[in-house]
Amino acid sequence: MTDKSLLDIRKLRKTFPVKANVFSTKSIPLKAVDGVNLQIRKGETLGLVGESGCGKTTVGRCLLRLYQPDSGRIWLEADPDVVAEVEARDAEREEIEAELQSVFENGSARGQSRKIRELKQKIRTIKAVADRKAAEYDLLSMPAARMQRARKEIQMVFQDPWASLNPQMVVKDLIGEGPYTFGTHRGRTLDRWVNELLDKVGLPKNAANRYPHEFSGGQRQRIGIARALALTPKLIVCDEPVSALDVSVQAQVLNLLISLQDDFDLAYLFIAHDLSVVQYVSDRVAVMYLGKVVELADSRQLYQSPRHPYTISLLSSIPVADPDIRVEGQILEGDVPSPINPPPGCSFHPRCPHRIDPCDKILPELGRDRDGHRIACHNPPND
Amino acid sequence: MENVLEVNDLATYFFMHDYIIRAVDGVDFTLAKGETLGIVGESGCGKSMTSMSLMRLIPDPPGKIVHGEVNLKGTDLVKLSEEKMRRYRGNEISMIFQEPMTSLNPVYTIGFQISEVLRLHRDIEKREALREAARLLKMVGMSDPDERVHEYPFQLSGGLRQRAMIAIAMACEPSVMIADEPTTALDVTIQAQILRLMGELKEAKDTSIAFITHDLAVIAGFTDRVMVMYAGVAVEDAPVKELFKNPLHPYTQGLLGSVPVLGVGKLNEDGTRRLLQAIPGTLPDARRFPRGCRFAPRCPHAMKRCWEAEPEMVEVAPGHNVRCYLHHEVVRERKVRNLGAAGRRIAKLQEHDRKKREAKRARAERKENKRDGVS
Ligand SMILES: Nc1ncnc2c1ncn2[C@@H]1O[C@H](COP(=O)(O)OP(=O)(O)O)[C@@H](O)[C@H]1O
Ligand SMILES: Nc1ncnc2c1ncn2[C@@H]1O[C@H](COP(=O)(O)OP(=O)(O)O)[C@@H](O)[C@H]1O
Ligand code: SF4
Ligand SMILES: [Mg+2]
Ligand SMILES: [Mg+2]
Repeated sequence: MTDKSLLDIRKLRKTFPVKANVFSTKSIPLKAVDGVNLQIRKGETLGLVGESGCGKTTVGRCLLRLYQPDSGRIWLEADPDVVAEVEARDAEREEIEAELQSVFENGSARGQSRKIRELKQKIRTIKAVADRKAAEYDLLSMPAARMQRARKEIQMVFQDPWASLNPQMVVKDLIGEGPYTFGTHRGRTLDRWVNELLDKVGLPKNAANRYPHEFSGGQRQRIGIARALALTPKLIVCDEPVSALDVSVQAQVLNLLISLQDDFDLAYLFIAHDLSVVQYVSDRVAVMYLGKVVELADSRQLYQSPRHPYTISLLSSIPVADPDIRVEGQILEGDVPSPINPPPGCSFHPRCPHRIDPCDKILPELGRDRDGHRIACHNPPND
Repeated sequence: MENVLEVNDLATYFFMHDYIIRAVDGVDFTLAKGETLGIVGESGCGKSMTSMSLMRLIPDPPGKIVHGEVNLKGTDLVKLSEEKMRRYRGNEISMIFQEPMTSLNPVYTIGFQISEVLRLHRDIEKREALREAARLLKMVGMSDPDERVHEYPFQLSGGLRQRAMIAIAMACEPSVMIADEPTTALDVTIQAQILRLMGELKEAKDTSIAFITHDLAVIAGFTDRVMVMYAGVAVEDAPVKELFKNPLHPYTQGLLGSVPVLGVGKLNEDGTRRLLQAIPGTLPDARRFPRGCRFAPRCPHAMKRCWEAEPEMVEVAPGHNVRCYLHHEVVRERKVRNLGAAGRRIAKLQEHDRKKREAKRARAERKENKRDGVS
């Protein structure tokens, strides 16, 4: 971990229980986020891109604890020594978990109930020790009081500017709600702070006493941004902040987000399905497919020399606003498989034009690093 | 080339309780055989209502085609009885929508819905129609068409539903197909599949397509000619290459400048922030458009006259029309230079005629509004 790290997401997993089919009563787990590792540095924009249903929103919501992840750690400005120690324990625990799993799988579980009990006990103890160690920095094992402080640092801007603002509240209260409840600003200073925020996001002063429905989509998104800024967080998770807006208004909001970043020294996790938008605002971009990150690179590198077959096809299926370029790139066949029953091995293999023998058996790790450009692929075409 | 479709001065208004929405306010375009026309503009500018007017599917009341013609191979669809129009719809002119789920009937199988369309327009029996449906599903790239005909819309993914919708629209090999944002709800990789399919079908059947979208990039790759709409009117139309090389209307220029281009990040070479060229403000309220140019409140070049009267569409280069005073100057200068003294006289007469026509139209409109106001 570098000293500039703000947030370090490790092995994040989130499943949702869903019904197996329309008629069944049994529920089975849908792997929305399946072991995601990501680091967000101070003041940077990390883009998160991928087709609908790949788990982008779920990652964002886990960071704000709007969803409770199944497992993983989310380190906030953590002490590297603590991280190292906790990770050692977590690794130890995972080994024992694997052992336990193999006991079950061998079908010999019946005669070994004592061993199983022992292993389970061991796992619990190690986890308790690790969680206690991690409590100061890990969002997922923090005690409530520490969490309250951490909450101030991470805010969110939502996709739908119509649904995400309480229609009963005037703009002044919508923006001032956070500072008021956290007690950072009160009375006259709160009013002044709200006015300053309105100014920063390009809304007139008289907006303060109006209701959200009096504003257009773009202006509402500005209100949402002011609301997110009110606690001067270090990170704002922007979940498709411009997808619901018209292109001409979309540009206004993107420009605003970019200029606020310098003023407030903000980091963004910028989530969107539109790669051109993500590529434009981001310093680094992570590409997701079926709950996993498959490529992570500097924004320019990702565009100039994509390495993962999925990213390559994704880039070539984006229409280019130039009628002289009518290249028929590689068009992906088929649909994205269901995350309820993802393909084994590399989950992209059924659609991948470069698949080789181990692709349908062995899961490729996000490893193949080249100057910080990482991919999870057994047979990258351009390497 | 022979024009299959000619739309002249089409206007569709919605007569609400105490105001009128001028959803489509005088639109002209033509569609030649095998040609693809892109219609582009932001939400609410009247794209869907233009296509619904062509199909005569405007909800009435409150909507109404107030004037204009839709000439399909010499027949004015606006004047047809509903009975006759039904024979054209799906047969000669058909449409695919953004969300196929709303236009496919959820309680019937895909195969049944296709064969119904076939049996409505062709004299074939049930079993044969179903066979034909399977053939159409195969044509739109569905695997196992013989099984798919028995599936219901909810069993298909978004991309497959759109394929089914295209199969229905192409079932009778119409001469004109209207595609209203057919790929907007789809992911990019699926969008690429659907665009490729539509391109192949267009080539094979020589269908004329009106392709509606808000996405200029899709337009660039798929169409021959483009019409840019703003607030119920066309503001620019041109061959696609011309439009992207030489956009003339300030709105078109703004649209092109406001979309991020792949490969261009937020930093300039020298490390400074690069901002997008956003268009300030928002779309005008469809209840009260500005009196002059509808884009004037957001236009960086607006002059005094832009606020006073709406500019006309003028042809600035062969096939390239623009509705903007900045280019009226150019046209007038060229005309006058080319024709000398006689030309100036002609220009004056033309100007006089134009004013008369405009006054007449305004009078008619006032009368129309008044009449609908009392009824
Ligand atoms: N609350 C939920 N309950 C059940 N499934 C969900 C829920 N939220 C998301 N999912 C599923 O999780 C997967 C990832 O969803 P999401 O994170 O919203 O994707 P994205 O934002 O990339 O479109 C999808 O398959 C989605 O259907
Ligand atoms: N059923 C309706 N009743 C009243 N107004 C409508 C109706 N349908 C559309 N409109 C209005 O017509 C205008 C044009 O809409 P539309 O053609 O759907 O725009 P686009 O497809 O370009 O987004 C909008 O101002 C819209 O509010
Ligand atoms: S006519 Fe005037 S206001 Fe309208 S686009 Fe042209 S310059 Fe701008
Ligand atoms: Mg999402
Ligand atoms: Mg529409």
